[in-house]
Amino acid sequence: MKVYERLSQAFKAEGTTNVFGMMGDGNMYWQYANNKNGIIMHEVRHEGVGMGMADGWARATRNPGVCTATCGPGTTQLATAFVTAARASSPLVAFCGEYPVSDDEYTQALDQSAFAHGCEAAFVRMGTAEDADEAVRKAFYIARTQSRPVLLSVPMDLQQKEWDDDEPYKPSTSIIPKRVVTPNASAIEQAADMLSKAKRPVIVVGRGAMWSGAGDEVRALAARTGALIATTLQAKNWLVDDEYHIGISGTYATKTAIGLLSDSDVVVAVGASLNRYTTHEGLLYPEAQFIHIDPKAHVMLSRGKGADHYVQSDGKAGVAALNAELTKRNFKQMGRRTGEVKEKLANAWEDRADYKIEEGTLDPRPLCLALDDLVPTDINLFVGSGHTAGFTNILFRKSRPIVMPGHFFGCIGQMMPAAVGAVIGSGMKPAILMDGDASTMMHIGDFDTMVRYNVPLLIYCMNNQCLGAEYYKLEAHNMKVDTSCIPTADLGAVARAFGGRGALCRTVDEVKKATAEWLAKPGPMIIDVRVSRSVVTLPYRRVHYGEDV
Amino acid sequence: MIEVNERIEVASTPQAVWAILSDPSAVVDCVEGAVLGDKQEDGSFNAKMTVKFGPAKVSFAANVLVAYDEPNKSGSVTARGKDGISGTKFTTAMQFKVEGQDAPPQSAIPIKAECEISGRLAHLIESGANMVIKRMTVGFAERLAEKCGGTKSA
Repeated sequence: MKVYERLSQAFKAEGTTNVFGMMGDGNMYWQYANNKNGIIMHEVRHEGVGMGMADGWARATRNPGVCTATCGPGTTQLATAFVTAARASSPLVAFCGEYPVSDDEYTQALDQSAFAHGCEAAFVRMGTAEDADEAVRKAFYIARTQSRPVLLSVPMDLQQKEWDDDEPYKPSTSIIPKRVVTPNASAIEQAADMLSKAKRPVIVVGRGAMWSGAGDEVRALAARTGALIATTLQAKNWLVDDEYHIGISGTYATKTAIGLLSDSDVVVAVGASLNRYTTHEGLLYPEAQFIHIDPKAHVMLSRGKGADHYVQSDGKAGVAALNAELTKRNFKQMGRRTGEVKEKLANAWEDRADYKIEEGTLDPRPLCLALDDLVPTDINLFVGSGHTAGFTNILFRKSRPIVMPGHFFGCIGQMMPAAVGAVIGSGMKPAILMDGDASTMMHIGDFDTMVRYNVPLLIYCMNNQCLGAEYYKLEAHNMKVDTSCIPTADLGAVARAFGGRGALCRTVDEVKKATAEWLAKPGPMIIDVRVSRSVVTLPYRRVHYGEDV
Repeated sequence: MIEVNERIEVASTPQAVWAILSDPSAVVDCVEGAVLGDKQEDGSFNAKMTVKFGPAKVSFAANVLVAYDEPNKSGSVTARGKDGISGTKFTTAMQFKVEGQDAPPQSAIPIKAECEISGRLAHLIESGANMVIKRMTVGFAERLAEKCGGTKSA
């Protein structure tokens, strides 16, 4: 057996079923072996897209995503996707070929360790052929235990060495203990002391709470303590069926939510990092005390602060213990779960600002509301970043099996790859992606990949023919906006040219019709929706125009 | 750096206007969200100022020094402050003068101000801060005009 065959066996033993990437001479033999081992290869048109797909796969399945690139120029294509995955805390292993150890002057030679470091990824190098098992195990161990991307660098010539060890491969899972971090009893008592004194509590839940399955416990705690429920951006729409759910805490909060959050006296954060965006640099909670429940040893909050009371615990276990303690104390209060608050929330989502809509375009706000209503709730939702996110992150409010916003690393264009990976990871469940035109154009070459694998993803390209973020910043500074305006072709026609389906729509009714066609038979499709530039999102109106909205 | 140039015209005599402006608490009272605190040994005042950047409020603990040039009926206000939550800092320097006018309205108050906001929030709120400061200055002019018994000219 060759080392590349052993490496493939090791990946399979680690649970790898799908690989995303692009073939080159640094990874082609490994891919060949993968094919023989029944690992499905998704061949993309750009290595970075492959990593983006593996990232989406990891976010959707909570298992390490795997991607691959050849040495040197193939690997450097991973840069933005690597940083994005690192910021998303996605467990990933990137199998990257490396130049031969015997040839320092190889054309594609690159210091891949330095590259990984610059991209905020962990680095594991297979230094000798004999280390093949250890290198793979270590890469997956880091990905799983630190929830981050790992560049596994494998010199091309070492892959061709003979592997004559018949000892079975031991996957990283065999050495990682499976235990839930349970809370300390006195830490729970202190948390209960604080919470029982709170008059205006709010529970902010993040991905950690969601992944731990804490939903029912969070609902029960909110009902018992009279707390409102808010989410981080990444847990968007989770528990939204609770009638005192106020949406996102942070940049994408409504004005009503900001008012309620600012008035909170105790925040219970569960599996949420409470970063600068979630707390708006701390300004969302000027008077509040924080109880923070998270399985990590400690989490530093925005502005380098710590919570008033930290409970190291798995989200579900921590909230369950807090519920039990409060039940033991017979504590129950109405708190903020009142008719008055419910009334405030009823109209919290309306943005009635009047804009003159350019001919041949539509107002993105009713578009979002119509699609949230029209697209059945078993269809997953992916949300890109950039200007359009200011509409979609606020106005799409329905609970769906997967609701996945982007925004890691603040880059555009990364959500289409992530959405494709997540759709494949979820067993080809149909999904929609809301994104802007610059994002859609960035990786449109890989719509071809969507077509080849018949990925049931409908991309709504909210096309205002400009770089939205820059357009509004220039406008706010009274600068000419022309340099940010870039027209596109009819992207519906482009999608059809790739062999998928596509439409160009200028009215909500046209969008509804095209959507109905896709719903009847989900597949790869782009709907190019021409949206108005006049309408500015709430977050942009706040930050660029100083509006109290 | 945010720069502001305003000129307020009020239908009161320069003496009447100066009488108001020469009282630091009256000047600070014209700044929306500002409350003057204790006088310090160096003649400056502690102050608190709450500014709304969008729907979020930033509360600055500030130090304000008002200096007067009685003969020229002019003065300056320098202030610096910090928000304890977001770590945002600001410094501002404002010059004003009371000028008599032959034709009504009787007084004019040219105001020049420079304001700098620093810290992570400054980048986050970007051009919005510019607009907020300018709106605050207009508000200051309007309140001052009201206090002087006149109206701010356009």
